Amino acid sequence: MHERLSFHIKRDSALHRLNPLTKIFLVLALILVAFLNPWYWTPHLLVLIAITPLSLLARVGAEYFRAAARLILPAVGFLFLMQAFFQPVGEEILFQFYFLDVTRESLMFAFSNAMRIFVMVSAFTLFLLTTHPSELMSDLTRRGLPGQFSYVIISTLQILPQIQARAQTTIAAQRSRGLETEGHFIKRAGSLIPLVGPLVLGSLVEVEERAIAIEARGFTSKSLKTSLHDIPDSSIDKALRWALAVIAILSITLKLWLS
Amino acid sequence: MNIEVRDLHFVYPTGFEALKGISISIGAGEQVALVGQNGAGKTTLVRHFNGLLRPASGSVFIGDWDAARCSVAKLASRVGYVFQNPDEQLFSRDVGTEVRFGPRNLGYPKEKADGLVERALSLTGLTDKVEINPYDLSPTWRKMVALASVIAMDTPVVIFDEPTTGQDAATIARIAHVIAELHALGRTVITITHDIDFCAENFDRVIALSNGQVLLDGPAGEVLGQEEILARTYVEPPQLTRLGKRLGFKETVRNQEEFLAVVARSAR
Ligand SMILES: Nc1ncnc2c1ncn2[C@@H]1O[C@H](COP(=O)(O)OP(=O)(O)O)[C@@H](O)[C@H]1O
Ligand SMILES: [Mg+2]
Repeated sequence: MHERLSFHIKRDSALHRLNPLTKIFLVLALILVAFLNPWYWTPHLLVLIAITPLSLLARVGAEYFRAAARLILPAVGFLFLMQAFFQPVGEEILFQFYFLDVTRESLMFAFSNAMRIFVMVSAFTLFLLTTHPSELMSDLTRRGLPGQFSYVIISTLQILPQIQARAQTTIAAQRSRGLETEGHFIKRAGSLIPLVGPLVLGSLVEVEERAIAIEARGFTSKSLKTSLHDIPDSSIDKALRWALAVIAILSITLKLWLS
Repeated sequence: MNIEVRDLHFVYPTGFEALKGISISIGAGEQVALVGQNGAGKTTLVRHFNGLLRPASGSVFIGDWDAARCSVAKLASRVGYVFQNPDEQLFSRDVGTEVRFGPRNLGYPKEKADGLVERALSLTGLTDKVEINPYDLSPTWRKMVALASVIAMDTPVVIFDEPTTGQDAATIARIAHVIAELHALGRTVITITHDIDFCAENFDRVIALSNGQVLLDGPAGEVLGQEEILARTYVEPPQLTRLGKRLGFKETVRNQEEFLAVVARSAR
């Protein structure tokens, strides 16, 4: 079985090669600027000059646009509609929908808010697409994050793809023994019921086995551990992190100053 | 039930071409062993017989059915497949339910299904374990549950994917007995195995795969004698076959009886 255990897509690109912490800084800086910058068009501009070029630079353009079209846009679109209809601000009524007034202000407000969320989710998506979870965690652990914490995060990230892979093997096993799963909806739904037990049990068994396996390799040992994987952290990374930190601090000060 | 495979190619989503033009024909009631190094494509090939994988090109016919056009569930009435890893195959709460799952789906009348389940359980030595959860059994017993759950379906073709790997002598003898029973019933049995002695003792025909292609295909006596060619797929002929060769026997011997027969003849 070749399972996909994360969203990560293995490619060689400038963004992939950046240190995971640098990418976290990048994501946070993008979010801060999108939410705090007072200029109305900032989030829209960020999509044009940061998110889209970054996805192309990372050579995950196709995957990112697919995720954006299928997941991010529908969710953000829903938020936009909710805010446009239920935001009781503004005087200038553009149109009415039954008892709901849609004003110019509420529309503008909803649009920029939606774009901010779009930037935030997109930044995270790009991060997940270009960073392998174990690389991220090794790097953070090396910088002092407790191992237990990394373990919890990693296993949480992996639960869904693991359950998915398991469900697929079980469905294959059931079809091989004559269970018709193509077609009839009722039958298909029914065939999922016997799946639940083994899925949960299997996952629990796996958790225990994994705990034993990592303990056998000295997980709770207090001594200093070295890492097999060398995660590069170049001077470019350091410079970038400083620059991004400055941008983030500037955004915060600007916001505080103006308010 | 005949199996006809014509120029079968298969490519995994990773882009790896696991089968590169396989053509074989297996007649009804044949006992075939499939050998070859790890990764030769044995599992990939047999997964085409029950429709779990679909050809990239070429065709697989099970009797008059084109496997590419039948659902896995439909093919299950003709081809029973015991997975290489029982943990991927078992999902029921107890052994009894597990074994009954197949016959129930195939829609056999109750008496017939009961009879088949009974027979499968006794053939595999599981009669006293019907109420146990398969996951409370040892891996070797889980493998027997997987076996029972497939032979209970009473299909004309039965495929075993590495049934003997990691099993003790008693269990291997039991598996050999199951195969002999299926043979007596006229079933086609296809078995993937690395256990070359098991292969020599239980099968008439051996197909050796290497890198997604058929390396050798013929009567066991012939194939197992081709030491040099078999070495290409890291298969060693059985010890007695090699010993016979070293002793200068003219014919290829596969098992103790054949070996002793030659010795007896030359002693006379
Ligand atoms: N799901 C898969 N995705 C990609 N490659 C696979 C997959 N399953 C098997 N392979 C590859 O196909 C080749 C044949 O595999 P398989 O048929 O399982 O070999 P065998 O059963 O002879 O040991 C191997 O090189 C294996 O790595
Ligand atoms: Mg295999």
